[in-house]
Amino acid sequence: MSHIVQIQTEVRDLVAVRAACERLKLPSPVIGSHRLYQGTVIGLGVELPGWRYRVVCDLVNGQLRYDNFGGRWGEQVHLDRFLQGYAVERTKIEARKKGHTVTEQSLEDGSVKLTVNVGGGV
Amino acid sequence: MSSKTIEIIVTPNGQTRVETKGFAGSECRDASRFIESALGQQTDEVLKAEFHQTTSQQQQVRQGE
Repeated sequence: MSHIVQIQTEVRDLVAVRAACERLKLPSPVIGSHRLYQGTVIGLGVELPGWRYRVVCDLVNGQLRYDNFGGRWGEQVHLDRFLQGYAVERTKIEARKKGHTVTEQSLEDGSVKLTVNVGGGV
Repeated sequence: MSSKTIEIIVTPNGQTRVETKGFAGSECRDASRFIESALGQQTDEVLKAEFHQTTSQQQQVRQGE
């Protein structure tokens, strides 16, 4: 049988966050306390281009904390690209752990298609 | 002999769609679970026509026995 699943991405893996930053040529993520407009939060801080404050990943619950003031302190597109890079890298890492080969292809609409080859027929 | 693949489309805003191809029986769910659980929360699941065909064929075989 076959099935299709839609997934809401959660950021939980340090190695994949590092890989996403390398992929997007961003500075290495920093673990620690990060200042946002209101207060500080602890987590893995990612510096996005033109963003006033870092995006802070809580790897325990998979959620992101950030303050871009509706786009005025940082464009949403950079956060979207980071999430896409993270999902791509996390998939590749997990597939390789299982010994599968992965091929990556960029699609015209900006999506990335990954094909994980699980092996031959039954 | 068909190849078994898992196809993942990651949209420009980082959401993903996972689709299994070429699997027999119920193994497709097991095969792709490691990717689904690594990526986040499942928001929707669709069983493709192949699933129902495979199931009904198996039932027919059992009924004929």
